[in-house]
This record gives sequence, structure tokens and C-alpha cells, in this order.
Amino acid sequence: MSAREVRLRARGFAPRRLPGAGAVTAVCVFAAWEAVCRAGLVSPFALPAPSRVLAVLAEMALSGELLAHLRASLGRLAGGWAIGMLCGVLAGLAIGVSSLARSVGLPLVSALFPVPKIALLPLLILWLGIGEAPKLATIALGTFFPVALSTASGVDQIPRSLIRMAQSFDLPNRAIVLKVILPGALPGIFAGARISSSIALVLLTAAEMIGAEYGIGALVLQAGHLMRADRLLAGVVLLSVLGVAIGAGLGALERRLLAWR
Amino acid sequence: MRLRARNLAHAYDGLAALGPLDLVVEAGERLAIVGPSGCGKSTLLAILGGLLRPSGGRVWFEGEAPSGSIVPVAYVFQDFALLPWRTVAGNVALPLEGRLPRTEIRARVGAALARTGLSDFAGRFPRELSGGMRQRVGIARALVVEPGVLLLDEPLSALDAQTRELLLEDILGLTEGATLVWVTHNLEEAVRVADRVILLSARPGRIRAEIAVPVPARERNRPEAVPVLARLRGELWALLREDARRAQTEGPP
Amino acid sequence: MTLVSSAPLFIAQERGYYREEGLDAELVFFRAAQPVAVAVAAGEADFGVTAFTAGFFNLAGQGALKVIGAQSREEPGFDFSAYLASNAAFANGLTGPEKLPGRSLAITQHGSSFHIMAGLLARKLGVETKTIRMVPLETLQNMQAALKTGQVDAAILPGHIATELDRAGEAELIGWVHEWTPYALGGLFTSTRNVERRRGVVEAFVRAYQKGARDYHAVMNKRDAGGKRIFEADAEPVIAIIAKYTQATPEAIKAGAPYIDPEGRLDVGNVYEQVALLKEEKLVDASVDPARFIDLSFISGHFNLPR
Ligand SMILES: Nc1ncnc2c1ncn2[C@@H]1O[C@H](COP(=O)(O)OP(=O)(O)OP(=O)(O)O)[C@@H](O)[C@H]1O
Ligand SMILES: [Mg+2]
Repeated sequence: MSAREVRLRARGFAPRRLPGAGAVTAVCVFAAWEAVCRAGLVSPFALPAPSRVLAVLAEMALSGELLAHLRASLGRLAGGWAIGMLCGVLAGLAIGVSSLARSVGLPLVSALFPVPKIALLPLLILWLGIGEAPKLATIALGTFFPVALSTASGVDQIPRSLIRMAQSFDLPNRAIVLKVILPGALPGIFAGARISSSIALVLLTAAEMIGAEYGIGALVLQAGHLMRADRLLAGVVLLSVLGVAIGAGLGALERRLLAWR
Repeated sequence: MRLRARNLAHAYDGLAALGPLDLVVEAGERLAIVGPSGCGKSTLLAILGGLLRPSGGRVWFEGEAPSGSIVPVAYVFQDFALLPWRTVAGNVALPLEGRLPRTEIRARVGAALARTGLSDFAGRFPRELSGGMRQRVGIARALVVEPGVLLLDEPLSALDAQTRELLLEDILGLTEGATLVWVTHNLEEAVRVADRVILLSARPGRIRAEIAVPVPARERNRPEAVPVLARLRGELWALLREDARRAQTEGPP
Repeated sequence: MTLVSSAPLFIAQERGYYREEGLDAELVFFRAAQPVAVAVAAGEADFGVTAFTAGFFNLAGQGALKVIGAQSREEPGFDFSAYLASNAAFANGLTGPEKLPGRSLAITQHGSSFHIMAGLLARKLGVETKTIRMVPLETLQNMQAALKTGQVDAAILPGHIATELDRAGEAELIGWVHEWTPYALGGLFTSTRNVERRRGVVEAFVRAYQKGARDYHAVMNKRDAGGKRIFEADAEPVIAIIAKYTQATPEAIKAGAPYIDPEGRLDVGNVYEQVALLKEEKLVDASVDPARFIDLSFISGHFNLPR
């Protein structure tokens, strides 16, 4: 009988994070982009080189324009997102624990979630004017629905036995919500926070369609209209950087708060 | 504190699951409830613990809960029911929070952890513990409220045989003098922990037989107790056998 | 926005004027103005008709485009764009365009047609453009919503929308743009490459375009003895052609029909002024020179030539 080595068959299907791969990819993409532009393959007003975009960013930083845009947008993002998160978590908890809220709220949320928020802009102007209120409302609306849904599903994921346990010790309902349901729904709430932070960034540009003098969204919109591809891409770079930063911040917070997992 | 039930019955959506049956658990008594799978043991315990409203009959206490008792009836769960986001100490403190001053909570939790051998694990999260250690936390949490009656629903069933053996001895030591209702499908376990064993019939569970265990709790681990307990186990199995087989072949409704 | 402004292109196509010139033309439609210019600059289209905006000027200033004729213009006697005051601002003294300095005005975006019209008015009034506070709201719907609720003091809107708002009492029409400033809305343009290498084709295209413009002018630019604009039976065929391309109803086409010069002649001085006022606001790059992107050699008789 011939001897044959046992072949290892359980290989692959276990993706890991390769350290530094993200940075290397970014460098390669930018290098290729710069090379294409330097070689004159595309006209600079159609696709400016990354060095040009960086130069625009530097100019904006020096003139204080960058700070004005960032301050305006971050304020709107933080405000709108906070309102949407707070209302979404409350609504999601209610849907998760109350039959009435579930029966009324769930169909309502499902019906209103897909409404494109941009289509509501003229209505938001009628109701809230053209100041900061409609901008905050646009972002809050975009944030609210995913957070409400994923909070509710987070509550649904909590094993019933934990709630029965709390009841077996005669804990009051308030304590059950605060000590069992809220922490138990936290993974769901974080999932909602992640999705909604991206949605908030997407909606920032829509929100800043309404009478915004400063803001990254306003910058991108205006640059588009003025055919200033360099400023437009500078705005896009700012949005991506914001997206990455917010994602990293949420990740750090999640690692702290969900360390028990 | 004595626990009484009269004419107790329960049906889930018209499916008769339990009773009717009458029950008395005397103060300081250790009662084991056994029966074929699906006969309504957990249902009975949930009703006794006030976690389920029976479709018929009623349950009440007689006498006072011990002084210092925070909750009259405490529960130990088969799946431990620990909050994964709280440490061992946090889980044990849960039923005391808002009811006692902070310093007293700390003292009581410290004592409960010490009694259950968990002092070194106070800061660990449940996921960092073995199954046996997790159930110790469940027991510490039940004992910390100094209950009048302790209800245990298959407390050892999720554990491996050796862990089960060790924990069983520890629980007996920890609950000396307490009133216990211990639900199990393991007959050997029943005769080792109980003063009295109630055998339920197949669904809907009614009282089929009652057997007193004539060996004092303290002496159950002695070699001379072994044949007595084995004989009791055999008697119970003879009574249970047919129902158990039926429950097997019928399967869930 | 006002696709009717491109009517000469449609007429030339439907009546076979391109074919008569030996051209095989295909019309491509874009939802916005910018992509038209980009497509021509990139060589994906040969000719374009679109409104003047800061974006268009920035692109044309790069040297890839040549404006060779006119689209439509504000012509005295032909109501096209109107100044509107919100009811609140009207009650509060904004009774005419001359009172606009110091007030807020809804526009789509900085550098848009609306911005240019406001800028031309400011220059006419002898004040800086920025004395009129521009509020960018991106869409006409948003502008109307802001005007109706008094969030802005004023707006410039297409005539048919303006008269509708005024009639419904939702805003006050306080004047027509043609009563205040000349305004060349947009241009016919091609790529610099075409002008340099395919001059014959460009000339042929311009002739076809002019024939279409003359047909339009003959029936769509009529006024009665009292000076009121009228559409007679002979306009029906042209309206039918426009309807085919724009999917608009005949009523909507009449309400939104601009004045189009029969020869495609451009108000050149006005374009210089537009570029100048946008440069002042840094919306158009300082390097942009209208003399370099306007080619006057294809159509004779352009107006208002700078020395
Ligand atoms: N929530 C419920 N809804 C409907 N039927 C249920 C429910 N809970 C239990 N049952 C049914 O009622 C019967 C009794 O259930 P119970 O859990 O009390 O039995 P048990 O004796 O504890 O069984 P096991 O040995 O499997 O733990 C079973 O047939 C079960 O399928
Ligand atoms: Mg059970």
C-alpha cells in the first residue's frame, strides 16, 4: 500500500486584515492618477492632478476658507446626526418593546424610509425656511430611519431569557430598559450609527443645496456649476476624509463600549 | 416560607401543557421535579416564580420571607441568563441595585462571590468564563438576594459531567437550609439533591408519583448512601420509562 | 431649462436644412447646461446651444470652445424672465427692481443665469453685484418655495411661472428683465478644433441654424399693433415641431417662448459685461478673455461690438 500524506483541505474563506494594505492602495491610486495627468492623457480641467487638488486644499486652508467650510459642515453633521440618532434610538426602543409602537411605528418607518429626502427639500423650505433648520432636518431625517430600524432589530436580538431574568428579580420596567434593553441593543444601535453616518455625509450635499454660503457640500455644488474640477475634487477629498475619520471614530467608540463581545 | 399551588393548570394556545395539580413546598424543604421531556416542568416552575400567568388555579406563599430578603423568590436558569456586557460582579449586583446603599451592595456582592468561589473573577466578562463558572455566577446572583424560595430550572443541564458533579456538591453546600424547587430530567441528580421527588406524567404534566429520599442531605455522598439512591433512581425510572418513550416517539406538537 | 431656446436646431432638423447643407446631424439632449459644453469641448459633439453661466465661461476660457452665434435674448416687448418680490417684501417697499440692492434674491447657484441677470441689473443701477444678497437654492422649486414663504425677498423666474405666482397672490411680479437690462441668454458654440480644421462644416451648420432661426422668428416673434405678443395660425407647425422635441404642450411652449434673433446674431458687448461682472465676484477665472472664445466670423451683423 502506498503512503499518502493527508492533504489539508480547510483552506481559505477566512479573510484577515492585511496591515497597511489600505494605505498602499491609496498611494498606488494617487500615483497612477498623478501619472495619467502628468502624461497629458486627460485635460487638466476634466481631471486635475492630485497635486493640483492638494494645492487647492492648501490655498483654501491658508485663506481660512477651508476652516469656514469644515466648521459649517461639521456643525450641520453633528447637529442633524445627533437629532436623528436620538429620535431613532428612542423610536427603535419603543418599537422593540411596545406592541402599540411596533404596530404603528414599523409600517410607518418602512413606508417613509425610502422617500428620497432630496425630494422633500421644497417642503422643508416651506416648513422650516432656508436657515440651518432645513439643513439639520434633512440630515436628521436621513439618519432617523436606519437608526430606528436597526435599534428595533437590536432589541429583537436580545435573548428573551435576559428580560425574564430581570423580571424574576422584580426589577422595575425603567431599570429593565436601561440595564438590559438599551445595552443589549447597543450592537444594533452601532450598526445604525455606522450606516447613518454615511447617509448623513451623502445628504450633507443635498442639505447644503438650500441657501448655504459655506460647507463642503456647498463647495462641491458650486465648484460643479463653475466647472472648477480642482475645487470639486478638493471637496470630494474632504468628504472622503470626513467619512474615514467618522468611521474610525465610531470604530474606536465601538471597541470601547462593546468590549464585552 | 411555604409555597402552595392549588388546581394549577396551563395551556399554550389551547395545547394543554400542565396539570391540573396541587402542590405544597414546605419551608426548608428541597423538592425535585422530574418528568419526561416536554411534560411541563419549566412551565410549572415559571408559574411558581411568577413569570407566567397560569390558565387555571393559583399559587401563593404562606409565612414570612427571611429578614434581609430582597426578592422572595429567586430563579436560576439553565442558560445562565447573564448580561454579557456586565462583569461577574456587575451581574451579581444587578438585583440589588437601587434597593440597597452602594457600600452594602459591594459588601453583599463580595460575600456572594467569595461563597461561590468567584472572588478572583469579579472583573471578568461572562464570555471569559467556562460554563461551570458562568452558572456559579447565576447561583451567586440568586443567593445574593437571600430569597425565601430558590427555583432552579435544569441548572446543570448545560454543563459537562465533571463540572456538573462538582457544582452539584457546591450548590448543596451553599443552599443548606434553604427552600428549593429543582427541576431536572436527570433522575440521579434528583435523588441526590432532594428530600422529596415529584414525578410528572407526560404532557399535560400531572403528579404521577411522589418519593421521599430517606437519606439526610449531609450524608448523600457517603458510600453507604449510594445503593439507596441507586434503588430510588431505579424506581423512578420504572415509573417514568413508558411516558418517556411516548414523549420521544410523539415528538413536539 | 428652456429647451424652447434650442428651437432653431429642431426646425432645421425637421425641415431638412442640415441635409440640404450636406450634413447628417443627430441631436443629443442633456438635462443640464454644463454637460453640453463639456461634450463639445471633448469632441463628443460638434455643436452646442446652451445658456451662459460662469461654468460655461470658465470652460470656454480654457480655449477649447468658440461661441459663434446667439441662442435667445431678452428683447424689449417680449416678456421672458421676471423679477418677483415676496408678498412680505413687497408690502415692505420692494415695489420695483430698482429697490433690489440690500435685499435677498433666490438663485439656483452662484454664477448661474439668475446670478448674471441680477449682476446686469446691479451694474445698470450703478451698484456692486454683491449688494444684492444671492441665496443659492439649487432648483426652481426651492426658489419658489422660499419666495412664497418670504424666506427670500425676491427671485428672478421664467415668465410663465412668475405670472402664475402673481395671479395666485403668492408673490408680486415687479418687473420684466427686458424692461431693465439687455441680456444675451446663451450661445451657439463649437469646438476650437472644428473652427480651425473643418471651417466648411461649421459654415454649413451655421447656415442651417440661421434658416431654422428665421423660420422661428417669422411666426414666433410676432406682436400685434398694441405691442402685445401674439401667436397666429402660422405658428402652429413650428409649435408642433418644438412640441415633438420638448414634450411640452402648445400652451406651455407659447408661455415659455423666448425671442430668438433671425440671424443668430449675438449681443457681444453684453457677453463681455457678463464675463466682467462674474470676474469681479471671482466666479470666473481672471484669465478668461471673451475676445478669445467668441468668433465673429461666421455670422455678420453681431450687435454691440466692443472696440
Ligand atoms: N411558549 C410556548 N408556546 C407554546 N407551547 C409551549 C411554549 N412553551 C412550552 N410549550 C410547550 O408546552 C409543553 C411543556 O413545555 P415545558 O417547557 O414546560 O416542558 P419541559 O418539561 O420543561 O420540557 P423539557 O424537558 O424539554 O425542558 C411542551 O410540549 C412545549 O412544547
Ligand atoms: Mg424545560
